[in-house]
This record gives sequence, C-alpha cells and structure tokens, in this order.
Amino acid sequence: MYRKKFLLAGTAAACLLMSAIQQSKADAAACPAEIPFGLTTALTGNLALLGTQARNGVEFAVDEINAGGGIAGKKITLKTEDTGASSTDALNAMNRVVEGKPLIIFGSMISPHVFAQTESVTKSETPFLVGATNAKVTAQGSKWLFRTHVHDGQLAALIPEYLVKSLNKTKPGIMAVADDYGLGASKGIQAALTGLNVTPAAVTSYAPSDKDMSAQLLQIKDSGADSLILFGRPADVALVMKQMGDLGIKLTTIGNASMVAQTTLNNLSAAEADGGYAIGGMIPQTSADAKILDWAKRVQDKYKVPADNFTVSYYDTVYMLKSIIEKVGCDKAAIRDALTATKDWQGLLISYQADAAGDLAHMLGIYRNKGKTPELIGPIKESGF
Amino acid sequence: MGQLVVNGLALGSIYALVALGLLLIFNTVQIVNFAQGQLLMLGAFIGITGAVTHELPIALAWAATIVAMALIGIVFMLLVYFPLRGRPPFLVILTTIAMGIVLENLALIIWGPLPVSLPSPVRGPPLRFAGVVISMHQLTIFCTLAVILLLQFLLLTKTRFGILMQATAQDLHTARLVGIPVNRTIAVAFALGSVLSGIAGLLVAPIFLAEPTMGGSLGLKGFVVSVIGGFGNLPGAVIGGMFLGLIETFGARYISSNFRDAYAFIVMIAVLVAWPRGLFGEKTSEKV
Repeated sequence: MYRKKFLLAGTAAACLLMSAIQQSKADAAACPAEIPFGLTTALTGNLALLGTQARNGVEFAVDEINAGGGIAGKKITLKTEDTGASSTDALNAMNRVVEGKPLIIFGSMISPHVFAQTESVTKSETPFLVGATNAKVTAQGSKWLFRTHVHDGQLAALIPEYLVKSLNKTKPGIMAVADDYGLGASKGIQAALTGLNVTPAAVTSYAPSDKDMSAQLLQIKDSGADSLILFGRPADVALVMKQMGDLGIKLTTIGNASMVAQTTLNNLSAAEADGGYAIGGMIPQTSADAKILDWAKRVQDKYKVPADNFTVSYYDTVYMLKSIIEKVGCDKAAIRDALTATKDWQGLLISYQADAAGDLAHMLGIYRNKGKTPELIGPIKESGF
Repeated sequence: MGQLVVNGLALGSIYALVALGLLLIFNTVQIVNFAQGQLLMLGAFIGITGAVTHELPIALAWAATIVAMALIGIVFMLLVYFPLRGRPPFLVILTTIAMGIVLENLALIIWGPLPVSLPSPVRGPPLRFAGVVISMHQLTIFCTLAVILLLQFLLLTKTRFGILMQATAQDLHTARLVGIPVNRTIAVAFALGSVLSGIAGLLVAPIFLAEPTMGGSLGLKGFVVSVIGGFGNLPGAVIGGMFLGLIETFGARYISSNFRDAYAFIVMIAVLVAWPRGLFGEKTSEKV
C-alpha cells in the first residue's frame, strides 16, 4: 500500500519536474531564430579607450556563446553603435539601436551618455544594462535599468576609510579628473573624509585633455599632504604617477582601479608604479585562478587591449542574461523581473546580487602595486551585502 | 615657484613647436592648417612604431619619423591644398579640420586607443638647482626649440629658398610668372611644416604619452600662441608659447585647474583687444 502511494507520489513529482523543464525549454525555444542584443559605446573619440572595454566584454561573451551553440540553439546577433564622445551622439546611437527592437540593450560605462539614453530605453521597455559609475545612474527611477559594475558612491566611501583606518593617513590631497566621473567621486570622497573627521590638505582637479599635471601636484606637495587620493582614467593616472616621479614627489597614493589597470602600468616604470593602492572593480590579472588568467590572455590576444574590471563586468552580464533567458525565455518583462530577483549569481570574479535600485555589483578589490605587478590585498564588500 | 616656471616653459615650448610648423605653412600659402596637432600625433605614433614596436635604436626611429613626416606633409598638400587651390581660403581651412578628424580616426584604427609612451632620446639624472628639478628631456625640448627657431629664421631670411617662399606667399600668380617653381616651394613648405609637427610629437610622447586624440588640444594651443605672438612672426610665436605655458601653469596652481584650457582663450582675446595684430604683429597697409 505504502509502496503504491510512494510510486504514485514519485510519478507525480517526476511529471511535475518534467513539465517544469519542458516549460523552461519551451520558453527559451520560443525566442526568435536570432536573439537580438544591442550595444552603444564609445569606439571613437577621446573616450574610446574606455568604451572599447564594454564592446570587448560583450562581444567576447557573445562569440563564445554562439560558438557553443547559442542560447537554446538560437544565436545572438549583436548590433553595436558608436557613441563617440558626445552625449548627443550617444542618444542618437541609442535611438538607432532601439529602432532595431533588441531584446536587451547594453549601455556604456560613460555616465553622461547613460543619463542621456535612459529615457529613450525606458520608453522602449527593454532591459538596459550598464557599467556607468556615477552613483546616481540607478536613481533615475527606471525599472528597466540595471548596473553590473561597482559605482563611485561605493568607492567614495571605501577609499577614504581604507586610507585613514588601515594606512593611517590623515592629511590627504585629492586629485580627480574634472568630469562627471571624477568630480562626482571627489565630492563623495570629501564627504566621506568629513565623516572620518579628516580635512583634505588640498583638493585639485585636471581637465580630461590636460597633459601637464605639475601645477596640481606641486599644490598638493606644498599643502603638506601625507598622501594622495587620485581618481581618474588609466591614461591620465599614468601621467600623474609619471610626473610625480619626475618631480620627486613621494606620497602614499590610493585611487580607483585605474591605478592598477594594465594600461596604466604599461606606461610606468617599476619605481613609478610601486606602492600605489587601488580600490575598485575586480581585475582579472591578479587572480590566482589559471582559467581566469587564460581568459584575460585570450581577450588581450583578440583585442590587443588588456581586459580590465569593465571587460569582466560586461562579459559576466552577457552570461547572466544567457542564464536568465534559458529560464524565462525572451519576454522582456520577465527578463527584467529575473534581473531584479538576481541573487548570488556567480560571475568570473564576483557574485552578483540585485538591490532595490538595480545595482548588482557589491564586491570590490583592494590592490597594491608591487613594482609593476598589481597584487590583490583582498576583496571588500559594500556594507549590507 | 621655480618649478612652476620650468614646467610652464617646457609646456610653452611644445606649444611653440606646434606653432612654428603652423607658421611655416602659413607663411607660404596663407592658410592655417588646423590639422597640425593631428600631424604631431602621427609623428608620435610613427616614432613609437619604430622605437617601441620594432625596437629600432631611438636615433634611427627619429630619422625614420622625420622622413615619413616629410612624405605625409606632401600627401597632405596633394589631398587638402591642391584640389582647393584658388578657392576661398575658408574652404581649405575647413578641409584641414576635416582631415584632422580623419587622421585621428585613422590612428585609432591603426594603433588603437591605448596611450603609449616613447623613450626619451636623452637619458640621465635630472638637474637639481635650489629645489627645482629640470629633467634631461625638458632640456632637450628647450634646446630643440632654440635650434629649430634659429634654423627656420635663417631659412626664411638668409636663403634663396626662403625668399622664394615669401614671394610665393605674397602673390602666388606673380611668383609663378617670374619663374619661381611655386609647386615645389609649396611642397617643401608642407613637408617642413609636417616635419616640425612630427618632431614636436616625438618630444611630447615621452612626457605626455601618445594617444590618437592628443593632437586636438595641442594643435589648437599652437594656433592660439601664433595669434598671441602676431600671426606669421616666428619669435612672437615662441614668446607667445612660453607666455601661454606660464599662464596655464600658474593659473592652474594659484587660481583653478578647472579652467586651464579657458586661460588660453581668455589670454588670446585679451591680447587681441589690446594689440589687434598680436604682441609682435607687423603693421600692414592695404590699398583701397
């Protein structure tokens, strides 16, 4: 009797499971023959160095997925539009992508571009995944917008805390690139320092096109600073570090991930790079995992540009979407809901978890350059995650 | 203070080098080449291709760059100046701007967006004097500028070819009628103008790194210092360059670094208001 009941229950459970599997396969199978993804990023102009990292991450993952048979046998088609450096062009590029009715749209890591594009994408009711680092990007009220990279708000809190509490520096100078990215971070860093009862010795900035940073560096030196918080992009961070060496200025320096980016280190001597600290998105070069190092090598071989924290983030995002589409199919609202419910999805280097605002990345790395080789001191999580 | 002066003068010397190339072409064909900055960028990348990618000795890389830039200058003239010769000058000027954008994107395709450093042609510890650091590379920039200024001055005033260039600039048709090989003169002017930009690129890349968009700002500053110095005047361009380098450096240090680029244009406007022909511009008269 019991055996009969057990058999019945087992059969019912198996039927239910089969049905669930069938349902999920049917959902993914209902996708169009080619699943359209759209991407807008800066491939030309003075933001191209940054923008190409988004293209590299997305394209590398899409090519891998297609080579492995696609998503439920359906190939992904990626339409990429160049935004150049201007927000107006970024909006035009986005409108061209939206006209193609893609299932998913990737935006770049350039915050002003994402601010300009959000309304257009939101109207199209398409999941919009970005790496833009301005903390306010996910505070625009769009339920279609998600960020899969750490943002300036997290860095602005953690960099001063590490500098003051772990490195025991209480008189930092601040130097940031004078654009939306750097000035937003600079304000956040100043606020965080105030919270730690620390007053910066000097606060300076430089224009993105500036090449000579000596005036700002001398101002920081003359102010008696005991350390430097440096927030910029790899090309200009390399210049600042180089010119510090030329001027004989020796300060403990901490900054964003640009401090340990391969692009920065390639242009510095071991002495210029040595001892620099960074807190930022996780970079692949410091991993002890041979698979990740091999991945970074394959990306570099293909694009001739070292993979960085953004490449990792965009690559992860494509695979995250693959796993979501395999579960919920090609319904945009269902994909959006699945993104909202993301919990502990394991990417290359970090696991992703959605918060109420639509931010999915909450783990950062603390790094230190030993000569020209960045070393991971340890991961650090945003409080609450 | 002393360090700011040294760094301001080094920056100003680079602006002056760009301006000298610009003026060499202007003094021959009366056209402002707004792609001068992008030619500088090409010079930097050609030098890097030789010295870094192909690991040539730095002197050989420099020589190869100078030859390549001379050829690029002639091609530039054939593509930009010759097809529009005789048309309103603003058409040629607009074409130089368009060519600058083309060159920038071409460099992005060929060399990619990564910033790259070029080794300095001189090595050695920096000079230190009363707390002021002067690197060997900065000294090289000062010396190169002085030599180029002298050579260019001698070329234009003491050689037959310089006189031919000036005659061509004053009246192209009359110059041709009196037997001056106008096309060859213009070709040499473009080649030399391009070479000067290339040398500026070779000097900039070791300290500022090379990237495809580096030329835009430097080219514009070269134009600004030419205007400040009095357009066409060589020593004026050099003094204008030094003046602008110092204004930018001191402004960034004591006023605000946020307005560094604005200082250039504020100074240019102020100079033009006070001296409409620039600091060293010559008085000209026109028959009506």
